Amino acid sequence: MTELVTKIQEVLNEADVVLGWVHSAAAGAAVPAWFHNAVEAEAAVFDSTCVHNLAVHLPRLQDRTAGIVAKGCDIRSVVQLISEGQVRRDRVRIISVPCPGVVDVKKVWRCFGYGKKLIDAGGQVEMEGKTAPREEILLWKCRGCRDTAPLISDVVVGDPAGVAPPSPAERTGLRERFDAMTPAERRRFWQEQFSRCIRCNACREACPLCFCRDVCTMQTREPHWTGGQINAREAEMAQHIRINHLAGRCTGCEECERACPVGIPLMLLLEEQNRAVEKLFGYRAGTDPEAKPPLLVFDIDNDTWDSER
Amino acid sequence: MSGVKIIGLLCNWCSYAGADMAGTARMKQPAALRVVRLPCTGRVNPLLVLKAFQEGADGVLVSGCHPGDCHYNEGNYYARRRLELLAAMLPALGIEPERFRYTWVSASEGARWTEVVEEFTGRVEALGPRDGGAA
Repeated sequence: MTELVTKIQEVLNEADVVLGWVHSAAAGAAVPAWFHNAVEAEAAVFDSTCVHNLAVHLPRLQDRTAGIVAKGCDIRSVVQLISEGQVRRDRVRIISVPCPGVVDVKKVWRCFGYGKKLIDAGGQVEMEGKTAPREEILLWKCRGCRDTAPLISDVVVGDPAGVAPPSPAERTGLRERFDAMTPAERRRFWQEQFSRCIRCNACREACPLCFCRDVCTMQTREPHWTGGQINAREAEMAQHIRINHLAGRCTGCEECERACPVGIPLMLLLEEQNRAVEKLFGYRAGTDPEAKPPLLVFDIDNDTWDSER
Repeated sequence: MSGVKIIGLLCNWCSYAGADMAGTARMKQPAALRVVRLPCTGRVNPLLVLKAFQEGADGVLVSGCHPGDCHYNEGNYYARRRLELLAAMLPALGIEPERFRYTWVSASEGARWTEVVEEFTGRVEALGPRDGGAA
């Protein structure tokens, strides 16, 4: 019985359900699971394939007490949901796990092929004899992670201080190419990217902070911000709506990009926005349950960027 | 005619009145600007700007009351934050940041209004029309 299983079982004494992960042989990786009792909880695991941000389920579990196994970055989403009044602090039990970074499943498939068991052996990741340096297949957000220490938690598994965050990455590959593009080139780039969008709204469903569900502006026809047609123009506007509504709220969990079935690099835009929010307003979403969102407040004396324009 | 289309989102109480004053005083100004009158810059959803670009605008100008002069006391303070963030996002979205400007023009500043329109129109004309139509 691992420490994680024991702690989940303890939390189940006071919670109706605990959100966590189990290993799936079919997926060759961890998949999300809901534990309702001690027997179910015995299958709980945490490893570097536990990529999902389970906080996405919390706003819909407010009729009961829910436990959640959460990485440092997932806890930021919970904090943001608490600050927006979507999750009650007394309805959630946070089980913090020490996370040395989780893998980008798409990078794993590219390196090793689909659906084989991944073994995390210290600095390296191994699959059926083939190895890859761990940092090369981690999610982009994990590089230079600032959230290894849990902001808030009820139960701590392991020692969060014993985890060294992966080293920060240079902006290589797609990010390096994107940085070098002119606005006109970026426009063509996004037209090409959004021409692949199938309007499945997986980005929205996977996002812990897109909790509006059936009253989403992406689907309103009055006013007609965007249509339902499957083309780059409408898809891009839909994404502008989503990104705009995540301003000062996005915690950068990368779930939208991971969920996208056609691989649109949405994080290029959200990372840009998060950097701008931090630079302009000195605000990082999900770091303070008492914080007011930066776009719902103003600072008369210090908001003077217009003088520079 | 330069051939560029510029959308102006103007607050009713200051900039619209300022533009009106410039017109009444028969001050010359470029005709590329199409004005939309709004109750306040606090009404300016950043998506209005992006939608204008998507629908074929070559430039978008937002103008309202000077900070401290808002008819609703604080609308332009909220607008300032939203619009500054939008301006920071434009290059990543593939829109030249020079195609967007937000500024403050009061009802008595007819002369300043023509200066703002001339400067902004010149800037957008230098870039030319945006290619392709859709944002």
